[in-house]
Amino acid sequence: MTLFVGGSLVALAVVLFVLQPVVKGLHASLERDVFELTDTEARKRVALLALRDVEYDFLAEKLDEHDYHSLKAEFTAEALAALEADERAQGGAGLGEDDLEAEIAQIRAGLREGCVCDACGFSNQVGSRFCSACGQAVAAEAAR
Amino acid sequence: MIILGEFALWIALPVAVWGMALGFMGGRTQRGDLVLSAERGIYAVFFLLILASLGVSAAFLGDKFEYWYVASYSNRELELFYKVTGLWAGQRGSLLFWALILGFFSSICVFQNRDKNREFMPYVAGVLQGVLLFFIIVLLFADVNPFERLAFTPANGQGLNPQLQNYWMTIHPPTLYLGFTAFTIPFAFAVAALLNGRLDARWIQLTRRWILTSWLFLSIGIIFGMRWAYEELGWGGYWFWDPVENASLLPWLTATAFLHSIQIQEKRGMLRVWNMSLVLLTFLLTIFATFLTRSGLIDSVHSFAQELKIAYIFLGFMGSLLAGCVVLILYRLPKLRSDNRIESFLSRESAFLFNNLMLLGFAFAVFWGTIFPLVAEGVTGEKISVGPPFFEKVNFPIGLVLLALAGIGPAIAWRRATKRNLKKNFTIPMGVLLAVGTGLWVTGARHPLALVTWSLCAFVLTIIGIEFWKGTRARARIEGEGYALALMHLVARDRRRWGGYIVHVAMVMIYFAFAGAAYYVEERFHVLPGDTVEVRSPFGHTYKLTYEGLSVSLGKGQRNLLWQAIATVSVQQDGKQKPLMTTEKRMYVTGDLPMTEVGIRSSVREDLYLILSALDDMEGAVRADSNAQGIDLQVLIKPLISWIWYGGIMLAVGTFVALWPSVDRRRVALEGRTETASQPAMAAAE
Repeated sequence: MTLFVGGSLVALAVVLFVLQPVVKGLHASLERDVFELTDTEARKRVALLALRDVEYDFLAEKLDEHDYHSLKAEFTAEALAALEADERAQGGAGLGEDDLEAEIAQIRAGLREGCVCDACGFSNQVGSRFCSACGQAVAAEAAR
Repeated sequence: MIILGEFALWIALPVAVWGMALGFMGGRTQRGDLVLSAERGIYAVFFLLILASLGVSAAFLGDKFEYWYVASYSNRELELFYKVTGLWAGQRGSLLFWALILGFFSSICVFQNRDKNREFMPYVAGVLQGVLLFFIIVLLFADVNPFERLAFTPANGQGLNPQLQNYWMTIHPPTLYLGFTAFTIPFAFAVAALLNGRLDARWIQLTRRWILTSWLFLSIGIIFGMRWAYEELGWGGYWFWDPVENASLLPWLTATAFLHSIQIQEKRGMLRVWNMSLVLLTFLLTIFATFLTRSGLIDSVHSFAQELKIAYIFLGFMGSLLAGCVVLILYRLPKLRSDNRIESFLSRESAFLFNNLMLLGFAFAVFWGTIFPLVAEGVTGEKISVGPPFFEKVNFPIGLVLLALAGIGPAIAWRRATKRNLKKNFTIPMGVLLAVGTGLWVTGARHPLALVTWSLCAFVLTIIGIEFWKGTRARARIEGEGYALALMHLVARDRRRWGGYIVHVAMVMIYFAFAGAAYYVEERFHVLPGDTVEVRSPFGHTYKLTYEGLSVSLGKGQRNLLWQAIATVSVQQDGKQKPLMTTEKRMYVTGDLPMTEVGIRSSVREDLYLILSALDDMEGAVRADSNAQGIDLQVLIKPLISWIWYGGIMLAVGTFVALWPSVDRRRVALEGRTETASQPAMAAAE
């Protein structure tokens, strides 16, 4: 008898516990939490981590200087773009958006055209012959 | 309590069905109430599984031999400790125990994510509940119910196999089960990602800790099993490619591959399909491992035929999982494609890919070697056994390539490496490799496999050492810190990288020990009391062993013991007296043949391993006849074997470093912001 009562109580408790949300209309959230990384933040984080890896690989002498500069420039551009996208997603117009867009576009174009300075990694304006940051000849131009 | 336990198992069935259905429905319709109910279902099933397990334990502790499971794995004389661990001593209890651990992990997972990662949770709850449901179905309908009653109540049980009455054996299976079941969580998140379409690296980041936890438990579970075999099986080996061992190695291999390839997805967004396939494969292999070890399949296809029901249920489950996941992956294929390519053949990405291929090749060879005898027996009816030679021939070369990659990988840059910096990074390690190889050759180590393995070990260690050194030096310079502090901060800033490298060092230690096998010494002597034998160690020293005599005790000491014959041996190493050693024969009430307990003396260099292989006159010895003291004594010298266990500890340390949670700075910052924002409001309210 006790067994029967005990068993029924367990069964009842379990059923009530499981069914309560449906019957009483209790809802679990299905939204993203404020503390979660948003897509843009995740992108930013990946870009920053990539930068860190490049720095580390260079320090550990696993990357050639030339590769280091070009990778660094590439990731810096990506990190900037990710930062920008993140700012925009958060609704704050942290930096002058148009200026930044223009700058990113310039860096990207610079990367395509090979206007990244080999010596310091600075991304120069398309068509530059000398690096605006350090004065060295820019590779693409110098090669001509 | 026992009947309540049985009852709980039956209630768990509809609850699991309900929970699974609501999880998937809630995810599809985005209804929060359904999802909450599904999540509560997980807690409820866990609670019911606890009741069921307590029921089984109560049956063990109360010597309820009317239950088939208790009667088969216990008896009145069994020590209390083994009655408690009886829950996982046999197939039926193990399946329940497996479900119990899965219920535990599932509940932790649901609780952890009660207010985050909500996009994933409906499907995660559905998948977890589905797997739980599968085990409940097996328990209830596959003739393996631990609560099954016999038609009569035997006066006593059959007792536990004496070989299982060992400390390692009580912790080895649970550790492996923890590893197997923990992998269900990454699998559930992967399926959830396929269903909700969020196919970036998010599901990987969320489950990284689970993956590492699972991997850690699998690794130490395997090592515990090796330790048990080494201590208890009494022949001095720790691995013999037996199907049960292989079954635990398979998911470990694919999980290791997965741990490496997910890094490429996180960093480069590549290999998405590959990672999905690996997570599915690993999960299937954990189920396969239970299937293989707990369905009676391995003994023989014929004994297996008597347990067709459980086999059909397992095969059906694995088949439908495979089909379901393949369909899902195909459906999501367009979204799974990556826009990145591996830029250079000389890059860490390609080293990782190569490592993946090697690990999978290894796994395939093990799988085939395990399954082939069963297939062959099924087809031809003849029993063929695939022994260690097959596995060694195929897997030794792959193993060596993997060892080399453990060093090559860390020394190559992501994305691009050039010949010039490869030369720079590999000159010193290659030099060390050659120097160690030559040194060993000169000192007389000529076994080719050992020579190659040890040289490669030196190569990998050098690379990892240089990595640590360069990182510390750079940090010390940049931050102006002392070297010790710089090293600590270095590791703290990128625990995954450095934890991983520590695990590589652990693998080196284990390989180092494996190669010692080339220099095992094994001799067998017939000795009478007072006889002295000499054995030479490969390290050059000599052991003088004097057999002091046999002492027999009847039915004393451990319960279930009929008699125990202890041979005492005094040991001199190069003339220096060492502590006495003993090796035993034990006869248990429950067995027909006496079991051997070996004597082991471990040191950093080598183990001295004594086996009492035979008594000249067993009956005489038991009667304490002084003329029946002659024995066969096997003396084994096992160089470097302790390094396997040291490696295991190192592996755990490395994994802990990688697992250790870091402070979520972002969360702290966000919380700070909400707090400061709410303060003025509160002040205003006051």
